[in-house]
Amino acid sequence: MKLVFFALLLMATVVLAQQPTAQQTGVLRLRVRVKADDAAPLKGLSRKRFFLIPGTLEQNRTLVTGIEQQPLTTRDCYYKQRHASAQLINWLQEGDCESVYCRSIENEFVTGPKAVPEFANAFAAHHTEFGNDVIALQWLTNYLSPDLRDGFYKDRERLLQTLLQQTGMIQSVMTDQKGSAYFTDLGPGTYVISNVIPAELGQTLVTWNCEVQIKPEDLATEKPYLISNRKDKTVKCVGIEKPKPTCAAD
Amino acid sequence: MTRIKRKTALFFLFLICVRPCLSAADYSKFSHSTPKHQAACNTCHKFPAKDWTRISSFPDITDYPSHDACVSCHRPQFFRSARPPICSVCHSKTSPRDEVRYAFRNPAAKLQFAIEFPHDKHQDAIAMLRFAHPPQGYNNCTICHGPRTAMFKAAPTDHGSCFNCHWKSQEPVAANCNGCHKLASTPYVLVEPARISAKFIHDGGGEKKQHVAECTTCHINITKSASLRGLKPDVPITACTECHNKDGLRQDLSKELIAIDKNRSFTCVYCHAEKVGSLDPPASHYLIAQRPPLKRRDIK
Repeated sequence: MKLVFFALLLMATVVLAQQPTAQQTGVLRLRVRVKADDAAPLKGLSRKRFFLIPGTLEQNRTLVTGIEQQPLTTRDCYYKQRHASAQLINWLQEGDCESVYCRSIENEFVTGPKAVPEFANAFAAHHTEFGNDVIALQWLTNYLSPDLRDGFYKDRERLLQTLLQQTGMIQSVMTDQKGSAYFTDLGPGTYVISNVIPAELGQTLVTWNCEVQIKPEDLATEKPYLISNRKDKTVKCVGIEKPKPTCAAD
Repeated sequence: MTRIKRKTALFFLFLICVRPCLSAADYSKFSHSTPKHQAACNTCHKFPAKDWTRISSFPDITDYPSHDACVSCHRPQFFRSARPPICSVCHSKTSPRDEVRYAFRNPAAKLQFAIEFPHDKHQDAIAMLRFAHPPQGYNNCTICHGPRTAMFKAAPTDHGSCFNCHWKSQEPVAANCNGCHKLASTPYVLVEPARISAKFIHDGGGEKKQHVAECTTCHINITKSASLRGLKPDVPITACTECHNKDGLRQDLSKELIAIDKNRSFTCVYCHAEKVGSLDPPASHYLIAQRPPLKRRDIK
């Protein structure tokens, strides 16, 4: 009986010893600092989504080529082509918003000199249905046309899906107000950081496709990684800038 | 032999008698998972409820389905006795003379649906610090997560914040319940996130209110989260120690690690409540203090 007990104890010890230990992972702190033009100050690129794709640039050559050669409709062009009013385009530009969900729609944008015609119409449509000013303002986006409401976002989402369908995309995060974003739970290896959809910056479009290595010594810590559209000794990767394409609606 | 046959016969007789009791449906409980209850939601739930203005500040489903929704199949159960059990699904008193119903939804009933919310798809509404550039009011997490206590934010408890955008046109629309509510195989239990740094105050940070920042500055994984499953508040220690353990500024973390060196029973109280503060500090804390990790039991 004792022998059986010791045999079981030995087996349990061996099995436990063979259990893989929790794998250590690393964190990459991405900082994106940009200049809209040479005279503009360097500032964080906020609210832009970045992707971490496993593999080297060479291994992701098809994707990188696809990103660099994609035809892109700029935000203003998209809304102009959908016959958005100048006031709506201006309202989006003011807040650097890609969609109407970015800013709260205050009463001054429904009536008065700053009114956006699309907002005024949506407000009126809701008011007709429920006769409640407060809800009509809060729920206003429900009464906008799909193109103006989320068409731009959906176009971009389709583009992303087309470009990334062949990749083993592992993470996507959005930069905060200061242009920082974190990729967490990373194993050692080589990755490509890309914004996939070029960022609109002043009169240019900026694309980053940056190769970054996570080494075993980077694990259990936070590896800083600064990218920009301007060269600097602290900048690890400089984005490729292209002039914004002309808009067919101009 | 005869005795065994008699026993077998008695056993089968028992089964015959007991079976109806075992299989009889309990009409006092309503389950959405019953196959015949899985028709389109608006078969029973009319949207918005006829008298929503009486209960809600916005159009919503504010009451139980009308009797028609049940009677079409359950007429026999409705007229079974003076106090039919089926009435007790909605009514607090099972009497034909009393119409009083439980609050909708009945807070005592178990949740039959899980909730899905992809934070990553709501990127335009979750990031920007409100009033970062006055007078523009950017949307951000506070649309849904209002203050609950000084320490923690609340999670949405009604459809109000959803319908701001998803009332109609923008899928999943209000009438498409299934877009967010997924029938769960077992009762869905809302799990409160484990609070690690119970003393953190969202609106704190001294006179300058340094804690008032864009939510994603500290909640670093929220913009990549496609589901509520397994979602954690996810604030790395570095989000705190950028101010709270910086040379020439503050050494709140290092000071408490030193206190543990001197007294292994020391409870870390600057950020943590007693339960968490008496555990071994994780390796990440020692890493910030540029020290090798220690276990309390190894300190003499």
